[in-house]
Amino acid sequence: MKKLSVAGISIFLMVMAVLPHFLDSRWQAVAITFVIFSVVALSQDIILGKAGMFNMGQAMFFGMGAYATAILNSHYNWPLLATIPVAILVPVCVGILLAAPIVHLRGDYLLVVTIGFNIVFIQVLVNNLGGVTGGPNGIFGLEYLSIFGHELRSQVAVYYLAFAVLLLTLAIMLNLEKSKVGRALHYLREDPLAAESIGINTKLYKIFAFALGAGIAGLAGMVYATQYSAVSPEGFEFIQSVLFFSIVLVGGSSIPGVLLGVFVMFVLPEIFREFSTWRFFVFGFAMILTMILRPRGIWPATFGKIPKYMIKEKSHGA
Amino acid sequence: MAHNELILTDVTKRFGGLTAVDSLSMKVETGQIYGVIGPNGAGKTTIFNCITGIYRSEEGSVNWNGEEIRGMTPYQIVDRGIVRTFQTIRLFSQMSVAENVVSGRHIKSSQRWWHGICPTVGSRRDEYDNWMKVKELLEFFNLDEFAATPVSSLPYGHQRRVEMARAMAVDPTLLILDEPAAGLNDKETAELVETIFSIRDKGVTVLLIEHDMELVMKVTDYLTVLNFGKKIAEGTPDEIQKNPLVIEAYLGSEDDDE
Amino acid sequence: MDTFLQQLANGLTIGSMFALVALGYTMVYGVMKLINFAHGDMVAASAFVGLMVYTQILGQTASLVGVVAIFFITAAIMACIGVTLERVAYRPLRTAPRLSAVVSALGASLVIQNGIMLIWGPRMRIFPELVPQVYWHVGGVIISMMQVIILVLSLILMVALYLFIEKTRMGAAIRASSLDQDAARLMGINVDSVISLIFIIGSSLGAVGGLFIALYYRGITFDMGWQYGLYAFIAAIIGGIGNIPGAMLGGMLLGLFSAFISGYVSSTWADAFTFMLLIGILIVRPTGLLGERVAEKV
Repeated sequence: MKKLSVAGISIFLMVMAVLPHFLDSRWQAVAITFVIFSVVALSQDIILGKAGMFNMGQAMFFGMGAYATAILNSHYNWPLLATIPVAILVPVCVGILLAAPIVHLRGDYLLVVTIGFNIVFIQVLVNNLGGVTGGPNGIFGLEYLSIFGHELRSQVAVYYLAFAVLLLTLAIMLNLEKSKVGRALHYLREDPLAAESIGINTKLYKIFAFALGAGIAGLAGMVYATQYSAVSPEGFEFIQSVLFFSIVLVGGSSIPGVLLGVFVMFVLPEIFREFSTWRFFVFGFAMILTMILRPRGIWPATFGKIPKYMIKEKSHGA
Repeated sequence: MAHNELILTDVTKRFGGLTAVDSLSMKVETGQIYGVIGPNGAGKTTIFNCITGIYRSEEGSVNWNGEEIRGMTPYQIVDRGIVRTFQTIRLFSQMSVAENVVSGRHIKSSQRWWHGICPTVGSRRDEYDNWMKVKELLEFFNLDEFAATPVSSLPYGHQRRVEMARAMAVDPTLLILDEPAAGLNDKETAELVETIFSIRDKGVTVLLIEHDMELVMKVTDYLTVLNFGKKIAEGTPDEIQKNPLVIEAYLGSEDDDE
Repeated sequence: MDTFLQQLANGLTIGSMFALVALGYTMVYGVMKLINFAHGDMVAASAFVGLMVYTQILGQTASLVGVVAIFFITAAIMACIGVTLERVAYRPLRTAPRLSAVVSALGASLVIQNGIMLIWGPRMRIFPELVPQVYWHVGGVIISMMQVIILVLSLILMVALYLFIEKTRMGAAIRASSLDQDAARLMGINVDSVISLIFIIGSSLGAVGGLFIALYYRGITFDMGWQYGLYAFIAAIIGGIGNIPGAMLGGMLLGLFSAFISGYVSSTWADAFTFMLLIGILIVRPTGLLGERVAEKV
């Protein structure tokens, strides 16, 4: 089983590493979208799947990163790559500030408050607060990526930037599983009171989960702005948050499950374009059906990640 | 060894109009096995919740080791060496036994938050040390063959042991057990007695609530008896068994229960 | 002062529509502890169903009897859809993890919303003018007959619902199921039929709310359910979700609040202010205005 998943991951990464060279430009764009949205969905998985907080505003953090990049590039002429730290830090700081007063709210209330944040964020963008967001049309005409003065105009460059971000995200997620921080998130998801009573500062770790998820989503936003050379409010609407929320749960909040969810939600519609009006109708049914047949998702996350040396040879545990 | 005394002075906890604990004072000394007994609804668990920071008592003082801990959060209190188990077992039910126990290492671990994002040699070693400690505890509690088993699939008696192992993983100086024998069969209860003694022999002070009078009389060094949130007696098990007030309030009603 | 009274009248009208819709959310949440995300889309669907009844059955003519018929037929159709929705999408998930039911509700919402789009198209439709455009000038304030009808009928429905919940045996069964489903089942209450009943009531009230929205604003779109649903849901939370008088209070407060914000501050920021109100209330009172504080038993 372990070998199988290692093999699966390596094949997936190898395919992804060479993928753009086999695609025409339209499918390259689809591939970039897949990678970016995978990163956002994985960042949502940290908050929703790992820490168990009902966050339905992930598109806001995604949008903050995208807008940070777009504003700095178009108004202040920062090179795109130089905006990366800001595209991460702005969502992280906002995530901490917004999460701090609300993380104690019970599940459904948290869900509604995060929806609220997302809607307020969109109004801020549309109403062009501070005159930098470009209103309903957003910001367009960003520069190309450039390294040491060399412009990288091809989509392949954007693809590899996105792919690097995905690798980083996967590395963080795998590492979380093997650290006390990652386990602390699981504990507070399972039973916050027991977690607190065993010495875990649950509030701190809830805020940590929000900050980490926001930062990764913000980084994905930077790549998104780069891909389209533009940002506009529609890309970060609350419906997007609903999709990320659903992808994580339908996928089963495991890495392969989330990637599969993103593929179904964003790549399949590109393949079946003629049915585009039926897209959400079909997805709606698929969501209901999946939950009825597999309430924990298509590919449920497995617990019991303990080092091999902990398992006694004789017994085969779970 | 330094003095690790828990001193409660006039602790009062009210819920609306109900006074669950009424100006209770007690003193748990280092190395004791201390029992709190009383009929249902006497306020025993409420006291434990006040000590461990889940509730904050309205009045009085909870002094641990010379420090006032009333008003601290549960994790701050755990950090000072006081750990508890729950009357209704509260384990992380979807996770394996070993993962449950390693949660107790959280506060002792040297890992910082950034190690969750970027590991270092130090954090890897710390991780290994934590698991080794867990291994040791699983052997101590005779749970090593279940390391990878999800706790929810274990029998009740085993779950109680997992919860104690988890608490012991913190390396506590004071272990608080809320009805550790509830739901155990005779054999398991006998094992529990041995376990409690060997925990004490490791230098851990034990404070427990229990309904099983036989067990209480066997293991405890000192007892406090509560009724309706008030202390009605305290003393050694022998003294308590002879105390007429206790017999009337508690031991008398024991016959009705069984 | 005139602005104040005018916005008061508008706010009460909008508020009573929110309250009708909010009741559907709060009753379902009370018993099932589930946010029925599809409810907003059911409200939108009822506007389209009402339009269909008007054009297909009544042949585009409507007398007073016809208008009443539209309300009854639409409410009946929506009640059937509501019960079916519960059977198909929620009942199989009663024992599943809570989030599974939330996802199922989101799925149902997408199905209904896009179902409307597939049947009636993505463009805005104009709802017929079924109530004569009569306006009264009362001391500088303009009040339409539509507003009066909405307010009066909503109040009647809410009082009727309140009496039903408080005074009848079925109402007692609903209250018991909200407090503790398992205990209610042990007491011989058929919780399945209670749930069907609340879906019937909730969907019918939502249908009336949806028709009021259609009659009042005239323009109806397939995706308007999110907007009104979200507002009504906020109303339910402000009042304390699961609490029936709370939903009525929350709806009225929210209607007044958004009317005054639009009247005095700015209509482009109305959503933002509404959510800030909600967030503020939840930070101060995490279970809403009339919600009970729940202490966890340890």
